[in-house]
Amino acid sequence: MNRDGDASTGHDVGRYMGVTMHEEEELHLVGHAVVAPHLRGPAGGVRTGALLTMLDNVGGLGGGLAALPDGWVVSTNLVARVVVLSHVGPLRIDSGLLRRGRNNVVTGVQIRDEGAHDALVASGVLTSAILIPENGPPQWERPLVLQARPEPIPELPSIPEWLGVRAVGDDSVEIDLAEVLRNPWGILHGGVVATLVDLAAEHATGGGATTDVVLHFLAPNRVGPVRARVRVLGRRTDGHVLRIEVRDEGAARTTALAIVTCGLAP
Amino acid sequence: MTAVYPPEHHLLRDLRLSFDHDAGGRRSRAWMPVVDELCTDLGHARAGALATLVDVIGGGLAAGAAAPGWIATADLTLHLVGAARPGSVVEARAEVLRAGRTTVVIEVALADERDRSVGIATMSFAVLPRRDTNPEIDRVRDSPSTMSTPESRLAQPLLDELGVHVRDAERGVIDVAVVDWSRNSMGAMQGGIVAAVADVAAETALRAATNEPLVVTDLQVTYLGFGRVGPVRSAVEVLGTGTGHASARVELVDAGAENRLMTVVHAAATRDLT
Repeated sequence: MNRDGDASTGHDVGRYMGVTMHEEEELHLVGHAVVAPHLRGPAGGVRTGALLTMLDNVGGLGGGLAALPDGWVVSTNLVARVVVLSHVGPLRIDSGLLRRGRNNVVTGVQIRDEGAHDALVASGVLTSAILIPENGPPQWERPLVLQARPEPIPELPSIPEWLGVRAVGDDSVEIDLAEVLRNPWGILHGGVVATLVDLAAEHATGGGATTDVVLHFLAPNRVGPVRARVRVLGRRTDGHVLRIEVRDEGAARTTALAIVTCGLAP
Repeated sequence: MTAVYPPEHHLLRDLRLSFDHDAGGRRSRAWMPVVDELCTDLGHARAGALATLVDVIGGGLAAGAAAPGWIATADLTLHLVGAARPGSVVEARAEVLRAGRTTVVIEVALADERDRSVGIATMSFAVLPRRDTNPEIDRVRDSPSTMSTPESRLAQPLLDELGVHVRDAERGVIDVAVVDWSRNSMGAMQGGIVAAVADVAAETALRAATNEPLVVTDLQVTYLGFGRVGPVRSAVEVLGTGTGHASARVELVDAGAENRLMTVVHAAATRDLT
């Protein structure tokens, strides 16, 4: 349900990523996604930002189910390490509950490439805060099954085109807060924040690929434009280490902080 | 029983940390002298030792930010970009990024005395209702401060002090006892030392996997439960290897408490901190 009470909107990001999900056993969610052309990046595989969105989608829903019936969840931080940058697909996203506390839920999420002998693609942990939505937590039929969209996959714009990302100097990128980028609560989707961070890292490093992310969601992005600004902290054999601050420029506040390792550009 | 924390012989004294807290409660600074006993065999401060510095300053700052509530550490992340050598002093500058009803988030910048960046860390905390057993913190009154005494120092390398026992290097299985020297105020293994155990486990397994002298430079620690009984036991899954770097996922369990999962850690190792 979105802020206007329309259950059909607020899910555009999920539809764009094309992740289907089902609850294999209680609180063990399994998602699948095709390695679609619009999700691919310069390294050939699915962009890290899209992988992070998948982790957030499946891990977040798994966390939400664990929070029921008391409440629902909002992502507070995501850590993830990407170990393979080229993918065959389909990708399988496995989410399992690590901890259900009084205030938060922790889910472990892994992405594997079923077309490459189940090779590990990414491993992450999503922490979500439990909250009580104004109209109560969403109702789901269990075991949960979510279909992303009918096949075949339509031709979609690439991620940078879809987000309408633009460079702001050498160290920043920015997007407008379009309606299709909002989640059901009416704020910028967490996966889009993660993708913006990934694109900012790529921009600031001249084409490097994000391999490691720590992302803290500090406040909602409601107004826009939303800007990600990069500061290079250092360089190592595995790439640049970056501090990336996300701000809702229209609301004049910092909304997320990321620490990113970005592999050296080829 | 009147419990004094930390006791006279304790990690938090022997690291010779000192602190200075901003009166507004949004910032703190802490310093840790780098000694040989805290260093890897490549001659710079171990990630786990720096994680302990981060844990102490971040926890103190968050406790103040969450008042009158109390806190439980949810996660700690650390990325190193520079080598902190013996004889130097690492300064940790902590700042509250968010102090909400349910969550506190802290950022900690690490630098040496020449203001060269050593690394960056973040921590997040769940805010809980205060219990009678939670300590009162008067940060400004106690600032600047130190927990060390004139006799405080590490008598042997950190890993020896912890009694690290390697059971299976390739799988990164190590045991570390839970002892008073490294307990937190709740009686469990201190959060920074939990990170240090993961650091050693990852380094051991990644060196075995790559045959390279890698050292851990990144730790992403998710705390799930306390290690109260011990030994704390690790298991490592090598996620990937490349030239001069590798990554791993580490799980820590409290082997004395029916192998209850305590902590999940993602770690990266490289060979070139300068």
